[in-house]
Amino acid sequence: MHSTGSPLGLEAVAGRNQLRRLQAHKHPPPPHSLKFHSDLQSPCADKMPQVKIIAKNFMDMVASLPACKLDKLCESPFICEAILRSLPPLAKKYVLQLLYIVVPIPAKSFEEWVLPDGLSKHRVAIDRLIQLRVYIETIDRKKETSYQLNPTFQINLQKQLIHGGVLPREPMPLNVRLPTLEELETYTHEQWECFLLQLISSTQAERLTNFSFAMMKVFQRGLLSQREKEAPRLTENGFQFLLMDTNAQLWYIIREYISNAEERGVDPVDLISFMLELSFHETGQAYNINTLTEVQIITVKDLANLGLVKLQQGRKDSWFIPTKLVTNLSVSLSDSTTRKQGFVVVETNFRMYAYSSSKLHCEILRLFSRVEYQLPNLIVGAITKESLYSAFENGITAEQIISFLQQNAHPRVAERMPSVPENVMDQIRLWEADLNRVEMTPAHLYEEFPSKDVFDSACDFARDYGGVLWEDSKTMRLVVKADIHNHIREYLRRQK
Amino acid sequence: MASAPSKLCTDDVSLLVVLLDTNPYFWSTSNDSSVSLSNFLSHVLSFLNSILFLNQLNQVVVIATGYNSCGYIYDSSLSSSSSITKSSGNGRVPAFCSELLENLEEFLTKDEKMSIEESIDGIGSSLLSGSLSMALCYIQRIFRSGPLHPQPRILCLHGSPDGPEQYVAVMNTIFSAQRSMVPIDSCVIGAQHSAFLQQASYITGGVYLKPQQLDGLFQYLITVFATDLHSRNFLQLPKPAGVDFRASCFCHKNTIDMGYICSVCLSIFCKHHKKCSTCGSFFGQAQSQAASMSDQKRKGLET
Repeated sequence: MHSTGSPLGLEAVAGRNQLRRLQAHKHPPPPHSLKFHSDLQSPCADKMPQVKIIAKNFMDMVASLPACKLDKLCESPFICEAILRSLPPLAKKYVLQLLYIVVPIPAKSFEEWVLPDGLSKHRVAIDRLIQLRVYIETIDRKKETSYQLNPTFQINLQKQLIHGGVLPREPMPLNVRLPTLEELETYTHEQWECFLLQLISSTQAERLTNFSFAMMKVFQRGLLSQREKEAPRLTENGFQFLLMDTNAQLWYIIREYISNAEERGVDPVDLISFMLELSFHETGQAYNINTLTEVQIITVKDLANLGLVKLQQGRKDSWFIPTKLVTNLSVSLSDSTTRKQGFVVVETNFRMYAYSSSKLHCEILRLFSRVEYQLPNLIVGAITKESLYSAFENGITAEQIISFLQQNAHPRVAERMPSVPENVMDQIRLWEADLNRVEMTPAHLYEEFPSKDVFDSACDFARDYGGVLWEDSKTMRLVVKADIHNHIREYLRRQK
Repeated sequence: MASAPSKLCTDDVSLLVVLLDTNPYFWSTSNDSSVSLSNFLSHVLSFLNSILFLNQLNQVVVIATGYNSCGYIYDSSLSSSSSITKSSGNGRVPAFCSELLENLEEFLTKDEKMSIEESIDGIGSSLLSGSLSMALCYIQRIFRSGPLHPQPRILCLHGSPDGPEQYVAVMNTIFSAQRSMVPIDSCVIGAQHSAFLQQASYITGGVYLKPQQLDGLFQYLITVFATDLHSRNFLQLPKPAGVDFRASCFCHKNTIDMGYICSVCLSIFCKHHKKCSTCGSFFGQAQSQAASMSDQKRKGLET
């Protein structure tokens, strides 16, 4: 696991407390608990506070597929390569190490290589490999565990390594001038922004993407509250979504798109394998659309709406051009080189200058600041107490705002450390802390004790458990934490 | 300067600079116990391909260490990223392999033309110092290209014996690698251990390995040298059994166990001189006479 603490790695729907508790696990939980649709299938979803865990990337989603589907995915060499690339560094090495070994290797010999410091990393790596069915675990009679590479995976990877891969389609030779990489970049950017704007408020968007209303609703699920007779409002999740970087947003959308596939009558495995295959196409090259199956054509059209590919039509054929977004799909999330240039300058007097002409940026900044005026390429705003309070009410945390400002710092200020003035950061945190001045603890109140002795012994008993919150010996009243209520009750009953 | 910015990149993105020994005298004398050049190349090419496989952003640079010259023969950043590991036209080898082999052949013919007719006793040494400096220059360029760069390391695949005449140059490159925190890994494919590379790996924190069986070279390369710098913190890699710290003298380029050191510039000589040939300091007469009487008491070189 990479150590970037994505603020949205885990996300709670029920309440802030849940969110806090989850985020307290800075260390990645064991991989098997990361399955993204745990909320959908959990049988006690109505009783438990509904906790939704968002898979950090595409591969978490792949990992949660059933074994037979995973084996089917392994049949394509490109998917094997994508899976290999998605692994944690140590796991990658373990795959290569066994690439030409056909007998199972005992787990002990792996552990001999590991330094004491690396044991946790080693376990994460091995767990991940088994989860993705890259390693196959066998336990022999002596209860010794040994590992072997999945044979299909092994053969595919060997072939890929020695002969190189062959894509199912070749770039088309065209006499037409294709868009340059910069042009593609702007196209992607525009398309994605247009999509986001439509997602958060369909009235703001200048032009609409071609997504059907139903599809859009699917994407909006969880991001917008959709009560009848009320204009949709962004939910807490929606705000957090907007503050994520493009890659994380893309994952979210793609995940929704794929999990919705079955409703549209498309096998999710086909979709996943097609997307992984796409990520190996060359950016900026034209590929003939006739080489695709029908389902793939529909998918490509949807992806074009997101800005992942560009569709073009010539006199006879039509073709699609993969953009950087799609070729980055198989690269792990923490990859920072895809991060776009920042645009925000925050001054020590809480003024904020954003060099951007994008409506989306303006909308995002409006979430936590007061936008004062807008010039063609500059948005000037101020971070005020009021604007921040409204952000906090919407469920945005101070840390998210600060990390947004840091991540999007203008290159000129990004060089400086810290990129956001310290007094501004502190003040944002302080204002948030102001809201949390009252701490709630569930408690029980005891009064009308029969005698002073009983009262005192009950106080002592509660103190032993460390659960006394308040006591008043004059009126003989006692408040204890809710979790020791049962003990106290038992104790008092015995006293009688 | 060197190590701090690299933290910005993902953990395991690496830049691997491979120095290939192409000394024709070494490859022509290789006997049954060692591998042939073509066999060796096929191991190495698969290894390079697997490095490129691991991460889209991984970068591989190959420098040929010839007998008379050195040259870049492959740089993965120059070809478009997604086409590297793809098959070339005939579908038999990945596209980058054919490019590398073509360049290698070109380099070899050029290197051969430069050689002057002279009698060479034995294998002769290849220009390790030259290729090491080229690798370091390349890495410096990467360091200066911006805050986001892959973590560099150097891998020497070396077979020819050390050339004592290159001692100073090699040591200087080793120290500059150490300064810029670039580990030098060495895989010795020749018959004897290489003192230069032992020291290089020891000083820079790289791995030194002399594979026992060369037909399994790929497995050695994959298990040991494919480990990225991030993972090295968690794994046990081969440790050197012993390092040959012997130096070469500046005057006759002999490897010596004991010798004379200039107290001003630390130059090393095998015999007593009146004047240091490097910095020009005069050595006191009296002391030298005393020294000549008891050579054994002279300051040794071993540290």
